Amino acid sequence: MSVTAPAVSTASRASGLFGAAASTDHKRIGLNMGLASLLFFLGGGVMALLMRTQLAQPHMRFVSDETYNELFTMHGSTMIYLFVTPMALALAVYLVPLQIGAASISAPRVVLGAFWVWLSGGIIMQLGWLTEEGAGRSGWFSYVPLANSANTPGVGQDLWTVGVILAAVGLTLIGGCVLATIARRRAPGMSMMRMPVFTWTELVSVLMVVGSFPVLILAMSLLYAERLGAHVFTGYSGAIDYQDLFWFFGHPVVYVMFFPFLGAAAEVIAVNARKRWFGYAAFVASMLAFAALSMSVWSHHMYTTGGVTNQYFAFTSTALAVPAGIEYFDMVGTLIGGSIVLRTSMLFALGFFLQFLIGGLSGIFVASPVLDYHAEDSYIVVAHFHYTLFAGSVFGFFAGVYHWFPKLSGARLREGLGRLHFVLLVIGTNLTFLPMFFLGNDGMVRRIAEYPQHPGWGTLNLLETAGAGVIALAIAVFLLNVVVSLRSRDPAGEDPWLGHTLEWATSSPPPRHNFERALPPVTSYAPLLDLRERAEREDSRTAHVTAGGSGSAGRGAPDAGPEERTS
Amino acid sequence: MRGGAIPVLAWAGILTVLLAVNAVWTGDEIQIAEYGFAVLVIVLAGVLLIARHRAAIRRGPPEPRPARVEAVPDLSFAAVLAAIAVASILFGLAWAYFLVYFGAGLLLLSLGRLAVEEQAARASRERAEKRPAAEEPDAERGT
Repeated sequence: MSVTAPAVSTASRASGLFGAAASTDHKRIGLNMGLASLLFFLGGGVMALLMRTQLAQPHMRFVSDETYNELFTMHGSTMIYLFVTPMALALAVYLVPLQIGAASISAPRVVLGAFWVWLSGGIIMQLGWLTEEGAGRSGWFSYVPLANSANTPGVGQDLWTVGVILAAVGLTLIGGCVLATIARRRAPGMSMMRMPVFTWTELVSVLMVVGSFPVLILAMSLLYAERLGAHVFTGYSGAIDYQDLFWFFGHPVVYVMFFPFLGAAAEVIAVNARKRWFGYAAFVASMLAFAALSMSVWSHHMYTTGGVTNQYFAFTSTALAVPAGIEYFDMVGTLIGGSIVLRTSMLFALGFFLQFLIGGLSGIFVASPVLDYHAEDSYIVVAHFHYTLFAGSVFGFFAGVYHWFPKLSGARLREGLGRLHFVLLVIGTNLTFLPMFFLGNDGMVRRIAEYPQHPGWGTLNLLETAGAGVIALAIAVFLLNVVVSLRSRDPAGEDPWLGHTLEWATSSPPPRHNFERALPPVTSYAPLLDLRERAEREDSRTAHVTAGGSGSAGRGAPDAGPEERTS
Repeated sequence: MRGGAIPVLAWAGILTVLLAVNAVWTGDEIQIAEYGFAVLVIVLAGVLLIARHRAAIRRGPPEPRPARVEAVPDLSFAAVLAAIAVASILFGLAWAYFLVYFGAGLLLLSLGRLAVEEQAARASRERAEKRPAAEEPDAERGT
């Protein structure tokens, strides 16, 4: 049963760089976007290393105050607008059509154009470094009046604003196309409640993208007008209005940067536990509730402004713990009774869930206005969001990379180097971000280029800087792993992990229109697992008949993979 | 496509409830306006899906679609040019005004190129539709 609509190719074919740059193949666009995001990640990482060097000891003068402001602004902007969010969508562009059994993404030309709009925005944002006044330096949020032309003069901040507008336009368009793909291009048999877990997480993410990103575009356009002297945001109410607009994007984006990696980790855990994802229906319901609530919490970033109704936002922010709890419950339920294989991808997925817990629990604290007055603008907040975004999302991202790399390249990543990468990253992450809780609680404020002598601060900051170095080493090991694995290939085949979802029912890498053979029937959210279980039942029946009713096939035999089980 | 609009509208429903609570609790005009806008966008997305295909609101798995020829361009320089044109215009506003004119020219060029691509797609679709069923379509299914 083929589900792909017959397709014909049009336009001339170009090879090489031009072909890769203008290809409308969703896999090529997804790869291009992922690679560009990864380059931005490396750039943002270098900025982080420079900041950590500056903060290694009290009164260090490694960079000037102005440069430090540019570094923290561009680090945050790069990581959010140019790495984690686009990477979440790049995964969607590459994987969602494959997971739902579609031949292509909806409106491939729009996706291609949107990728280039986003990339242009990223490059324009970074061009600020070359200007006389330097890059944007008002924070990744660029509050007014700080970001107006009187307080932050120079073309660098203008380029930052324009860059954010372009990046947001590109990401919004991509979100819309992914939404249309999921709604309109699913394989026969794939009802909404038979969609893979990862696709669901991408669906709720793109719903948030199309709902909230246009507000960022509006906020940035008004900021640009403000910088041209339009006086859009004047006085106290103007500053609050800007923050309201910005955070209406700024909080949902945190979840756009989280859900797809949660989905990736969930797929990895289910496959490596050799079990169906536990509590699927509850998971789907909780995702919809989680996403809706996360659209309703934005002003908890503004508790201390005195300009918002703290009670409403404390209520919605605290309520987030319920759907989050369901997801953890599902994860534990999937592991219980599973036949667990501790591959590198599984280590990263478990690392994601365990470390994100620290970020999530500290989020419950700062969701309380009373506690937030203590934590606001301190390193507690920096620790909290790095535990969600780095210790959480980036670990989920690496879980996905180790899991899907064979699909997109045809080769497996080396397990030994992968484990080294994981161990170094766990050490580096916790060494860097855990001390920030103690420093913040002790009163160290964020966004300062230097800090005074204070008992214990120098030591903890030095530890953090060392941790940042270990993270850099871990990333170097990962890059080495990619190079080694591509140069000396360990062929992966179609389905090296005995996957559950349709992307594993095609060659690695998949052909231009994804599926050249008929798709397996879709009777649940794990169609390939269904097939194996059916084969297992048939084998068992055959063995039973052959042995005259006394024999049976070994439990899980058809599921047995090439690797040993560790528990 | 069957069911595609259901989660979109369900989500819009949850958002509407939260918007109503926000409106009653905070009464903040900016918040109500931006939240209302988001709800409207999601509702419109759901309505658009239903308008394109009535079954989008019906539950159940999608049925096999009748075979139809879909023209999928392998490459689109029009899309790339249009994106660079838009970026050039905005970059020009912030940095050097001549880039605005350059971008506008590029945008026109990309529209011309889009027309060529669309024409090629139409021709390709017509060719495939005329061909006997046994011959189509894998030979031309792209690289």
